[in-house]
Amino acid sequence: MSWKDEVRELERRREMALEQGGADGIARQHAKGRLTIRERIDLLLDDGSFREHGRATAIPDYDDDDRLLGYQPANYVVGYGKIDARRVVVGGEDFTLKGGSPNAAGLRKSVYAEHLAVRSKVPLVRMLEGGGGSVKGGAKKGGTVGEPVFTEPRFKIIADAMSQVPIVSAALGPVAGFPAGRLVASHFSVMTRDTAQVLIGGPALVQRALGVRMTKEELGGAHIHTRSGIVDNVADSEADALAQARRFLSYLPSNAWQRAPVLACDDPVERMEDELLTAVPRDSNAPFDMRAIVEMIVDRDSFFEIAPDYGPSQIAGLARLNGQSVGVLANDCRVYAGAMTAEAAQKYRRFVEMCDSFHLPIVNFVDQPGFMIGPEAEKNGTIRYGMAAVSAAVQATVPWASIQVHKGFGVATAAHYGEDAYVLSWPSVESGALPLEGGVAVAYHREIDASPDPEAKRKEIEDRLRANRSPYARAESFAVHELIDPRETRPVLCEWIDWIQPRLEQLTAPVAFGMRP
Amino acid sequence: MADVEVKSEVAGSVWKVLVAVGDAVSEEQEIMILESMKMEIPVEAPCAGTVAALPVAPEETVEEDQVLAVIAS
Repeated sequence: MSWKDEVRELERRREMALEQGGADGIARQHAKGRLTIRERIDLLLDDGSFREHGRATAIPDYDDDDRLLGYQPANYVVGYGKIDARRVVVGGEDFTLKGGSPNAAGLRKSVYAEHLAVRSKVPLVRMLEGGGGSVKGGAKKGGTVGEPVFTEPRFKIIADAMSQVPIVSAALGPVAGFPAGRLVASHFSVMTRDTAQVLIGGPALVQRALGVRMTKEELGGAHIHTRSGIVDNVADSEADALAQARRFLSYLPSNAWQRAPVLACDDPVERMEDELLTAVPRDSNAPFDMRAIVEMIVDRDSFFEIAPDYGPSQIAGLARLNGQSVGVLANDCRVYAGAMTAEAAQKYRRFVEMCDSFHLPIVNFVDQPGFMIGPEAEKNGTIRYGMAAVSAAVQATVPWASIQVHKGFGVATAAHYGEDAYVLSWPSVESGALPLEGGVAVAYHREIDASPDPEAKRKEIEDRLRANRSPYARAESFAVHELIDPRETRPVLCEWIDWIQPRLEQLTAPVAFGMRP
Repeated sequence: MADVEVKSEVAGSVWKVLVAVGDAVSEEQEIMILESMKMEIPVEAPCAGTVAALPVAPEETVEEDQVLAVIAS
């Protein structure tokens, strides 16, 4: 007696599960320029590290004698794996079966993915391609309908997970309905440029509801969603998308109870770039390249920008200083002078909450002219989103360093300083309640109007006030910690990184207010 | 030959137009300067070619994505 027959049957079933949607289904997927979920998992994970959960999960078809006639594998694949030798949970829809719309067995496994990541306290990488539910799966006569009233809401674990473990989502094909909801419930999302679309409802629904005829690509292609903020980054290929997912995770701890790994750094902490001395033009209205400044200061090649096309007046990304992961925020004066638009504010708020959730210190390069103004800005509700960004900053628990690079005006500037921020100022700093050019005209309008030469009067007042704004005034009043030579920024920040280590060691639990989509 | 539209990345106004229709331009040559939020924003030719159209003039306000110039390349 042995269990040889059962083992043989088990192996046969494992092979059937690996057939996915069959040779035809796989060929159709490849013809669309897309990989299957199992190929994606192989591409993402360290070689041979995938440990699938629920390999036998399927919709079987038995005859009256309990002989297996047919076998449709669950169309969601999930399990443990490793990225750079660190544990992760990985999951994704199998588009070769039912277009990724969950079959009953697949649905159970997809809901399991978040639970597995949260319980295992490891990051989750979702590789999304598929639709939501279908009316075809409706009630059977005599069966039960709906979920029992005491069931935990299905979305609770999706929301909870965001405060506990890093979540990355990659859209690698059409992603609609529920999977689109999962996509945005992430700390980082990426989509392929030519083969992915993200939609709440697809073309057929849109035409029925609104009478508008549009393609998937027109409704939810990369050109739409990198600017809507639904997807952070765009990738040229699936391999590129998954490489970006791996890179993002390299900066983060495995969960909110741990600290981000500190890597060995071969970039000298004392490195001082001469170009920093000329990086900010003396002409206040001439734009400059803030990204180049950031890259000269952080560890070489360590800057990973997130959502460059969304709210582009605000730059956000991850980087390292002497091997320590940090969140980098900076203003791009080439777009609306770096002003905080409604989009920039939402990007900012989410990014600060993400850094706070995973205890990444924030380094902020400030060139903030204020909230965006004008009719569009008012219609977009800019001040509300702006104050949400300010609130996220002042309530953040992570160590914070702000480098006053150039402008710092108005209420929006408050978003650039966490509580107890270490404030460094460059000689090029200009700050106050309002930029002088507009501010003087408003505040001194009576005096200016009454003058025989209003233009000369305005200039005289501006010059007088400008003198009070010398970078020394704030340093003398201890309103900034240090006025520094821009070239010193890297050494000074790296030293700061060393001094905040005891504080970072204390940050070992989820924060009171995590990140929401 | 293809016509390449140069679109504004920002809303603002045209401050200076540095080229005329018919001028040859090189890639990344500054063809116009916009003013937006008190900043002078240079507009560069995305490719080498000839300026085929300049639908905007100095002091005109422009919207995001508005066509500023057409380059025949």
